[in-house]
Amino acid sequence: MDISSYDWGLIWDYRGDLLRGLLTALEVSGVALVIATAAGLGLAMLRMGRAPLSWLAVVYINVFRGMPALVTVIWIYFGVSLLLGVNFSVFQAGVIALSLLYSAFMAEIFRSALQAVPPGHREAGLALGMPNGRIFFSVVAPQAFKIALPNVGSMFIGMIKDTSTFTVIGLLEVVRVTQNINAQTFQPFVLYTAAAAIYVLAAFVIDIFFRLAEASLSSPPRGRVSQLVRGRKQRRIQALVAELT
Amino acid sequence: MNTLEPSGPPTPVVHPSAPVATDPAPVLATTGDPTPPVVRIRQLRKSFGSLEVLHGIDLDVHAGEHVVLFGPSGSGKSTVLRSINLLEEPNSGSVCVDGVEYGPGVAGEPRVKRGKPMALRRKVGMVFQQFNLFPHLTALDNVSLPLRSVKGMSSEDAMRKAAESLRQVGLLERAAHYPGQLSGGQQQRVAIARALSQDPKVMLFDEPTSALDPELVGEVLRVMHELADAGMTMVVVTHELGFAREIGDLNVFMDQGAIVETGSSELFDNPTNPRTQDFIRAVR
Repeated sequence: MDISSYDWGLIWDYRGDLLRGLLTALEVSGVALVIATAAGLGLAMLRMGRAPLSWLAVVYINVFRGMPALVTVIWIYFGVSLLLGVNFSVFQAGVIALSLLYSAFMAEIFRSALQAVPPGHREAGLALGMPNGRIFFSVVAPQAFKIALPNVGSMFIGMIKDTSTFTVIGLLEVVRVTQNINAQTFQPFVLYTAAAAIYVLAAFVIDIFFRLAEASLSSPPRGRVSQLVRGRKQRRIQALVAELT
Repeated sequence: MNTLEPSGPPTPVVHPSAPVATDPAPVLATTGDPTPPVVRIRQLRKSFGSLEVLHGIDLDVHAGEHVVLFGPSGSGKSTVLRSINLLEEPNSGSVCVDGVEYGPGVAGEPRVKRGKPMALRRKVGMVFQQFNLFPHLTALDNVSLPLRSVKGMSSEDAMRKAAESLRQVGLLERAAHYPGQLSGGQQQRVAIARALSQDPKVMLFDEPTSALDPELVGEVLRVMHELADAGMTMVVVTHELGFAREIGDLNVFMDQGAIVETGSSELFDNPTNPRTQDFIRAVR
């Protein structure tokens, strides 16, 4: 096939299908991100807590960190659904698979982030007579969240890439859409280049988003977004200082 | 999450055997003031694992007194301080603050009214060597957060009270700054303001100037001096013996987990115990 026969216009012609594929990938990953974040935080707490619950968390983490996405989604869609007698939709199976896998990674991310907060900060809270729950939510968690954020962003990018394996259960994500178009047009180089570009672009945009979020959580706040959100508080303090001096 | 690792005290000097039976009679550190003490420690013992780091401490701190604990590292002075607000749980003995007893108690003695650690900590302020300010909060919020969560003050009241405390340490104009934007000395002064704003009965200082650059030590000592002059009850672990001589009503020399010798400021000029003599000579 010589180079002049590559029909790059196909990408534009099928842009709607390709973008719908990306949207599906984002939806599955987005829902799974919320579930995996919550579950990961819970697992991290169990992991750092008492035996035997901490052992269960360790087993869970090591099992699901080791399983490939392809195997997991087939296992859920064709295996677990039979076991439980439930017919998962492809969307549900994808969300469940990603949530299972990534909650294991998230657990380790949150554990290391929580442990990265200096123990002295907790001690200072205790010495001030603050209750444990308040120390966690007002002192430890905000710091740990900021430490964890870049890694959570990487996990989200990883999730989107892993949705490509869900083509095997027929989820209409980017790769499945590409295969379908290719079956009609026989332009694999053009179409898979487009698919690759879509993933790279999505990762790029997500990276920017998480960087902005991280900057806005820094102390002192950087960036316009955080100045909007946290500027009011600053001005209130400055007004009080002006009033008292 | 659940348990607090004992992170504070430095690794103690290992002695061949814990000196229990052969040791001289334990020294009771007190000024002899007949009024009931604010802090009363009796037969306090503390072990980390199999190593006993405090071999029975007896200490009285009366209202308005300034008690200085000094001695070589590993002598247990920080552990005594951290036992007063139960950041270290005593293995045996009694910690009594403001008439309420904590800790396992002393064998054979009747139990006094007993309290929970959180109630004790609300009466005791502590300043750490590493400041331990919350880095994601402004100086003002570092002070106002515990006012809201412990004293249940409204946001407005807490901010005003926090601003007053910052003014007391000379940092009102830095209220909107974050810890990362403050010098070490300023951070420590914010930490002092944070502890003060809780209106504690007694303030504990755990080597408050040891992590500071030499030129920043003075401003922190000045604030502590003002506090002492204002009549605050203070227990200070420090290596600044010049400062100790100025403010110390009761100076306590500790070595190897026991109180060796106590006295007023003349302890620094005429120590009687050879171990105290060696230490003071070495520091000077």
